[in-house]
Amino acid sequence: MKHLLLTAAATLMLNPVSAVAEDLLSRITADGVLTVGTEARFPPFEFVENGEIVGYSGDIMEILMDSALPEVELKRLDLPWQGILPGLAAERFDYVVTSVTVTPARRDAYYLSVPIADATMAVLKRAGDDSIGAPADMAGKPVGSQAGSAQLAALEGYADTLDDTPKISTYTDFSEAYADLAAGRIDAVVNSLPNLLEAARQRPDIFEVVAPTFGEPTYFSWAGRTDEDSASLNALFDAELKRLIEDGTLAQLQEKWFGGAMNLPSALPAQ
Amino acid sequence: MLDLLIDNQAVLIEGVLTTLGVSFLAIALGAPLGLILATASRQNNRLVRRSARVYVSFWRGTPILVQLLLIFYLLPAIGINLPPTLAAVVALACNTAAFQSEIYRAGLAAVPEGEVEAAQMLGLSRRQILAKIEAPQAIRIMLPALVGETLALVRNSSLISVIAVTDLTRRAQQIASSTFQPLDSYMIALILYVAIALVLSAIGMLLERRLKQQEAH
Repeated sequence: MKHLLLTAAATLMLNPVSAVAEDLLSRITADGVLTVGTEARFPPFEFVENGEIVGYSGDIMEILMDSALPEVELKRLDLPWQGILPGLAAERFDYVVTSVTVTPARRDAYYLSVPIADATMAVLKRAGDDSIGAPADMAGKPVGSQAGSAQLAALEGYADTLDDTPKISTYTDFSEAYADLAAGRIDAVVNSLPNLLEAARQRPDIFEVVAPTFGEPTYFSWAGRTDEDSASLNALFDAELKRLIEDGTLAQLQEKWFGGAMNLPSALPAQ
Repeated sequence: MLDLLIDNQAVLIEGVLTTLGVSFLAIALGAPLGLILATASRQNNRLVRRSARVYVSFWRGTPILVQLLLIFYLLPAIGINLPPTLAAVVALACNTAAFQSEIYRAGLAAVPEGEVEAAQMLGLSRRQILAKIEAPQAIRIMLPALVGETLALVRNSSLISVIAVTDLTRRAQQIASSTFQPLDSYMIALILYVAIALVLSAIGMLLERRLKQQEAH
C-alpha cells in the first residue's frame, strides 16, 4: 500500500497534466513512452546493427507500435539476460520484448505473451566434428549453455537421461559459449534451433547444427508483470500478436529472419 | 578486424563517449564527496569520524557489480527510480568518493606537522594554512594516485552494462554476438581502452610536470 502511494505520488509529480493515472497502459499513452527490456545479443531475434536494436522482434514491434500505440515512442533498453526478468519485476521497464523461453516456473512468476517463435532445443557442434551425430552423442563430453536460461535447464534434464553425464559449463550469454566451442574448450552448445541456425549461417566454416532437435516442443514468448496494473498492457500485446499470427504477418517475418515459417499456435498450450 | 572496426565505427565512438562521460561525471561528483569524507575522518567528533569510516569501508569493501545492482534494482523499492545512466554515475561516484577520500586523507597527512605548527606560530588562519601550506603540497602528492583512480574508474565502468547502459564493453559484446566474431570484437575494445588509458596518463604526466615547474620557481 505504501509502495502504491509512493508510485502514485511520483507519477503525479512527474506528470502533472494527466490527472489520475489508472493503470500502466494509460500511463504509457499519457506519457507517450513505452519502455521495454531487451537482451540484444540473441540474433536473429534481437541484435544490434549500426547502433539500432533490430531483428525479428524489432520488425514485430515496428508493426505493433504503428497499429496499437501510434502516438507512443518505443524505448528499448539493452541489458544482459540475467537482468531482464528481475528488471521487469523491479518495474525498471514496462514489458519484456526479448525471447523468453516458456517454462512452467516462468508462467507462474510472469505474464507470458502469446508465443512468438518455436524454441525447441537443438545442438551446435564444430563443423566437421564426426563424434557428434545426434544429441545423445553429447554423453561424456564438455558442453555449454547460458546461465539462468531454459535451454540450460533443458540440457540438464536431458543430461540426466544419458548414461555418461556431459560436463556442463555455463556462460553469461551464448556468444561466449559459441566462442568456447570454436576454441575447442567445449564440444557442443545447446540452444534453441532458430539461434543455432543463425550461428551456422553466419560462420558455416566453424559451426554446424546437429539434427534432430531434442526434448519437448517449447516456445519463445515475451513477458509482462502479473499485477492488475499491467493487465491491460498484457492484453494489448496478446491481441496484437494473435492478430499477426493469424493474418500470416509473423510467418512472413519468420521467412525473412529464419529462412522458413514456423508452426505457431495463437495461444500458449495449456499447462 | 579492420572491416569490423570500420563497419562499426559510429557505435564504437558512441561506446567510448558513454564510457568517458560516465567515468568523468563520476570522478567529478565523487571529488567533493571524497573531500568531505576526508575532512570528516579527521574530525574530533567521534560520530562524524565513525560514519565516514563506515561509508568508506562499505564502498571500498563491496564489489562494484553489487553496488550497481543495488542502486538500480533496490532503490526503486523505496521509491527512488533513477534512469540507467544516472544510476551508473551515482553508483560509480559513491564508489570513487570512498577511494578518493583515502587519497585526500593520505595527501593531507603527508604534509609535515611541523610546517602546520610553524604557520600557526606565524599567525596564519586555519584557512590560510590549508590554502597556502597544506593544499599545494598535498595536491602534488595526490596527483599520481588520482590519475590512477581515474584509470581504475574507466576500467570499472565496463560493468555498467549490467544496468542497461550501453558503454564500450557492451558495444563490443553486441558486435561479437551479431557477427559471431568475439575475438576481433573484444580486441577492438581492448585497443580502445588502452588508447583511453594512454591519453589519461599523458594528461596526468603533463600536470605533474607543470606542478614541479611551479615548485621550482
